[in-house]
Amino acid sequence: MSFRPDSVLLDKGVVRRIYEARVRAALGAPPTPLQSEAANVYALLRARGLQPCITEQTAHILERRPPVFAAALLNQTLTLRKARYLRRWARRLRDFVFSPEDAVIIAYGSFGLDLQTGQVGVEAVITNDNHMAINYRTRYAEINERFEAMVNGLTEPYHELKLPHIVTATEALAAL
Amino acid sequence: MERLVVEADGKVVIPPEVIHRRGLRPGDELSLVEAAEGLLVYQGGVDAETAAWLAGLSEEERRLAEAEARRYEDLSEEDKDAIWSEGEESIETDAEGDEIELPTR
Repeated sequence: MSFRPDSVLLDKGVVRRIYEARVRAALGAPPTPLQSEAANVYALLRARGLQPCITEQTAHILERRPPVFAAALLNQTLTLRKARYLRRWARRLRDFVFSPEDAVIIAYGSFGLDLQTGQVGVEAVITNDNHMAINYRTRYAEINERFEAMVNGLTEPYHELKLPHIVTATEALAAL
Repeated sequence: MERLVVEADGKVVIPPEVIHRRGLRPGDELSLVEAAEGLLVYQGGVDAETAAWLAGLSEEERRLAEAEARRYEDLSEEDKDAIWSEGEESIETDAEGDEIELPTR
């Protein structure tokens, strides 16, 4: 598996495990395997000079956590905003049996906007949710067809948008 | 990615350059995880980013982090789930007011 993306969105579950690895480190306790996996993915992405992206919801959650844990994560990540049509695409993704939360994170992969650079969408979404990743890959052809139909009916900047890859943290760690 | 060979007695030798790169020392623990994708070896202890974060804390911040960590670890899984579910995003049409129109190029 080749995995050398220039832009990556971490889903909330991955950020949670990175955060919790730090909580355990503060207590002198080793991370659990899930926490270790997420924290190692994060470390490898950072070592490659990538600034991982997070969603607005994840940023809001971190903003309400103690700054001693959350401030560094907020400083080291980019918070994507929702470009127009993100929710419309998320609603259509629900037809492929994604939960609303899964649909939103996948839609951020195409319609998440980095206000600093103007970049829209990311190459890969990294998740802990195996079920979501498998469902996405299994139905990718149908999803892509639906996506193309939607964006081709929109005005100019939108029809250049792409679907992201959905990669589990385990896969990312093995491939980075 | 590195390839490891299992020897007759079950031992696996990690290439010296990997040992050097990862800062492994005799006695360090590694975790072996049986995942759907195969066997994964995780470096025990703390990853480089977490270690750097911890090392960057002042004494006062460390005490604060420890106290906050105890509070967090004392929460039930349900309480932790609730924290990480705050502010779930609606995908309904009437929530679309905060979406940003992309500029035409």
